[in-house]
Amino acid sequence: MITPDLTDLPPQQPASSSLFDTVPFPHGAYWEGFLSPASPRVHWQPLLAAFDAMGPDVLNERQERARRMRHEDGATYNPFDEPAGRGTPWALEVMPLPLTAEEWEGLETGLIQRARLLETILADTYGPQNLVKEGWLPPELVFANPQFLRSCHGIQPAGQRYLTYYAADIYRGPDGRFRVLRDYGSNPAGLGYALENRIVTSRVFPELYHRTQIRRLAPFFHAMHHSILQRAALRREDPDIVLLTPGPDSRIYFEHALLSRYLGYPLVEGPDLTVRNGEVFLKKLAGLEPVSAIFRHTGDASSDPFALRRETAVGVAGLIQAAREGLVDIINPIGSGFIDTPVLPIFLSRLCRHLMGQDLLLEDHPAWWCGAAEGLSHILANLGDLTLGSAMDGSAVLDGSADPVAAIQAAPHTFMARAPICPAAIPVWRPSGAATRYTVMRLFACATDLGFAIMPGGLAITAPDVASLIAECPERLQSKDIWVLSEQPVAPFSLMGGLQTATAVSRGSDLPSRVADHLLWLGRYLERAEGVVRLLRSVFRRLSGEARPAEIPELSFLLNLLRADNTIPPSADMDDGIPLYRDLLAQLEAALYQQDRPESVVAILKRVKEAARNVRDRLSLDSWRAINRLEAFADAPAGDPLELLDDTLFTLSAFSGLAMESMTRGLGWRFMDMGRRLERSMNQASLIRAGLPEVCGESRSILEALLEVFDSIMTYRARYRTTFQLAPVLDLLLLDDSNPKSLAFQLNQLCHHVRELPQQDDPHVVQGEAHAAQEMVLALRQLDFARLRCRSDGDGAASLAAFLESIETGLKAFAQQISAHYLSRVPATPHFSMLPGHRRP
Amino acid sequence: MKYRIVHETTYQYSEPASLSQNELFLHPRETITQRVVESELVIVPQPQYLHRRNDFFGNVAHVFMVQQPHNHLAISATCRVTVERPAIPVPADTAPWETVAQRLAAHDQPSTLEAYQFVFASPLITVNPAALSYARLSFPPGTPVLAGAVDLINRIYTEFSYDKSATNVDTSVDQLLANRKGVCQDFAHLGISCLRSLGLAARYVSGYLETKPPPGKPRLVGADASHAWLSLFVPDTGWVDLDPTNNLIPDERHVTLAWGRDYGDVTPVKGIVMGGGVHQLSVMVDVAPQK
Repeated sequence: MITPDLTDLPPQQPASSSLFDTVPFPHGAYWEGFLSPASPRVHWQPLLAAFDAMGPDVLNERQERARRMRHEDGATYNPFDEPAGRGTPWALEVMPLPLTAEEWEGLETGLIQRARLLETILADTYGPQNLVKEGWLPPELVFANPQFLRSCHGIQPAGQRYLTYYAADIYRGPDGRFRVLRDYGSNPAGLGYALENRIVTSRVFPELYHRTQIRRLAPFFHAMHHSILQRAALRREDPDIVLLTPGPDSRIYFEHALLSRYLGYPLVEGPDLTVRNGEVFLKKLAGLEPVSAIFRHTGDASSDPFALRRETAVGVAGLIQAAREGLVDIINPIGSGFIDTPVLPIFLSRLCRHLMGQDLLLEDHPAWWCGAAEGLSHILANLGDLTLGSAMDGSAVLDGSADPVAAIQAAPHTFMARAPICPAAIPVWRPSGAATRYTVMRLFACATDLGFAIMPGGLAITAPDVASLIAECPERLQSKDIWVLSEQPVAPFSLMGGLQTATAVSRGSDLPSRVADHLLWLGRYLERAEGVVRLLRSVFRRLSGEARPAEIPELSFLLNLLRADNTIPPSADMDDGIPLYRDLLAQLEAALYQQDRPESVVAILKRVKEAARNVRDRLSLDSWRAINRLEAFADAPAGDPLELLDDTLFTLSAFSGLAMESMTRGLGWRFMDMGRRLERSMNQASLIRAGLPEVCGESRSILEALLEVFDSIMTYRARYRTTFQLAPVLDLLLLDDSNPKSLAFQLNQLCHHVRELPQQDDPHVVQGEAHAAQEMVLALRQLDFARLRCRSDGDGAASLAAFLESIETGLKAFAQQISAHYLSRVPATPHFSMLPGHRRP
Repeated sequence: MKYRIVHETTYQYSEPASLSQNELFLHPRETITQRVVESELVIVPQPQYLHRRNDFFGNVAHVFMVQQPHNHLAISATCRVTVERPAIPVPADTAPWETVAQRLAAHDQPSTLEAYQFVFASPLITVNPAALSYARLSFPPGTPVLAGAVDLINRIYTEFSYDKSATNVDTSVDQLLANRKGVCQDFAHLGISCLRSLGLAARYVSGYLETKPPPGKPRLVGADASHAWLSLFVPDTGWVDLDPTNNLIPDERHVTLAWGRDYGDVTPVKGIVMGGGVHQLSVMVDVAPQK
């Protein structure tokens, strides 16, 4: 059967007034929305009527709003160094896919049976292997299958739960029957996107959503959480459950962060965990904290670099050993990717009869295996009509040039072939009007103490042609929310609240060292960005006036400050420090936009975004939206620089405000604030020192510029109501500990923070960083204010410069102490004993 | 024969290592011809965690973790074993290799099913047309399976040179066929790849070999090394070991530690260490015949 590319179909002739009357009819495929052109199925009618009532403009606006909401929530995958890789995994298409209660009941019953069957197969495969010994399962599926992990054989998971979390891709064939295309057991993806789609869709169509009786998703998450909690609690009073992610480089990191926030499980990466005495611990600031259960979102093969693939930095060395000891509940157990084996479904119907005494309810997509004689002869006879693929690990094994028959005959057990797939077609809304796409549904199951539960909803993955729909990277496609219609009123169940759990409450008290490290740097980069933006803004403000550069007395002072930070290159001739206007503009342009200049605004903003990305689960959605706005800077290097700098400063302030406000005054907040204070005091000391010769000249305009750069003009005016004079200016910027912008204020805050950090060792010993901070505060207090009169006395300027330099050194030492004490991360290296072999006798 | 074997592995780190996890296959297996009289494992510094299990292939595996900072790690495995001469079938009398391959493909007996797992490619051993064409020269149609295998290891012995610097842990069978040099584990991998390409079952054996001193010279303590060879499944007889590095069928001078699909399954010492800077590894093996 040939499935046409739906983008090529001509629109139907409009018969009546509905927007969807022109939808191309997908010949040969099941049509989800319609019985025939312009004749919608009953359960679609309210939906289509609502869409008709909105009209094209409103629908376009809703689609755009959904896109924006998902972008602002951070659902966009955005690798910083790889613009080509930008995109939105499972980009949301707002028009949902409704399923009737009856259709759903069939799917649900079938999936529950299938999950039970697959779990039984997993238990046998990682246990007695009777299915192979008794001939129910070909031995190749175990012995020649990279997805069967020998090192996991014999491990008994907590509560004998071999499968806690399961997903399947299901399509509807032309006959209207559902068929399973793929199973996912190792670390099924898409649950978070399904949750996000539901949140966004229900907000974009609030009236429609609340008028329609749609099964809620929240009870499923509750069931899953309680199932995990129950088993984890078997061993520990107050179990610590974490969500293990490969990290921000994962295309679907957004999903991990969202699920972490929603379920209340701290988001951790491999290096955050360590195995000691066969137990898993989370590395936190106060020390190691035991972990009872891991909701794993890393692939099987990359979960344990010690027992499995050595080159991976994603997993946790020793995790399988901990599982072997039964001291941690890993969801799903490592090795459960066995059920992802593409060829396994071929054997499910007879396994179902053998193991459960039942017929398999959900059919599989027709497929044949080259490892069996009858399969091989069918495939070789129908090679042209079938899709050849890898039988074991899903990776494509044939390149176009190879002779498929020769490749099959060399290793028949590694190949399988599928019949052509003809999935259902579904109406979508495009800016150009209604259109049609093919769709596959990803549905999710979790184990509960009452058996498997199926999430009433899921991801409807859509694509314009079948080849992309069933390709290996479904997350590059678009998705829709699935609405399971209910015949009874739906109990209100808030999705937004998340799960209130003990683990969520205890999160504030301590945090992983890696997170503290990232937060410290986030604080530093934010402050660095603000500092340089403020300085550049002062320069651009002056350049945008009527005066010529040479007529602005403080311009060369400001440019020197920029040079001190290496924001612009050192001046060629030292006469007045003002380059030719054209050169100056080029230098400033580079200071703003040049990506490969580490001191440029765009480069620092990139670091801000990277640091923020690394702690995404710690940031509120609002603050994440502010971070996403910073992208405007890189995207628009053409506008008015002053406006852009104003906007950027505003966004940065908004972000810091939101991030700091929404964080409890716990350790996370403390580390981020320490980063800010550290950077601000370093910047302040070095800038004042750089500007000292000119500052001592006591020119009014220079003093004013200095106050402006440190955002203290208002405070000065309020406090002194006088013209700018050297002594009060320096007092305000250095010594006045009631001015939140003064050096004294920063140092006091640092002192205060280190006192509140967890003590890993003897609490009576003053630790290095506390000592370093106190020393600086003392030195500042002892600074002889009388000697600040540097105009008349050259020694005064020199001693002030020396003092500032000692503060800079002290701050660097302080930063090193903090890092060594709390944040140090050690790289891991594998080692082998080689076999030198034996010389010949 | 009776042997006392000492296998010492030491790591010297340039900087303190904070956490070291290791898996050891240093405890000899019991086999039809091998008895383990005693086996002892001494690790310095004393590990906080030590776990022993039988792995998927029935080998004894130890996992240990040293969790305090250390600059030096020493693993010393000592064992006493007795080895009897195995009953080796007459190669020319074994079944034709095609029959053996067919019986494995049918795998209708527990023994053939058990052996069938060693027919397939494994992480370190590819099975491809290059290996098949190299193997075919030793296996004309109807060749008795063991006679073909003996010829195959003889060809590996004569056509490949022993070179410690030529290969590493990850050297592939294709590279070996191109470069024609390697060490014992490479020759074992190559032989296994060739046998599997014919549909035969072959496994990798890790162990030791007693070295005979040159005539008139005393035995040098610690001059031995760990060794590797392969084993071929011969239906109705069982597994027959073959040593391509020395071109012989092992008798009582080979001591078996463990077997698996390839080196990766039974690496004698492998691990992962946090920190430690530059590692210096030294290995000392002594296979001393006992009265």
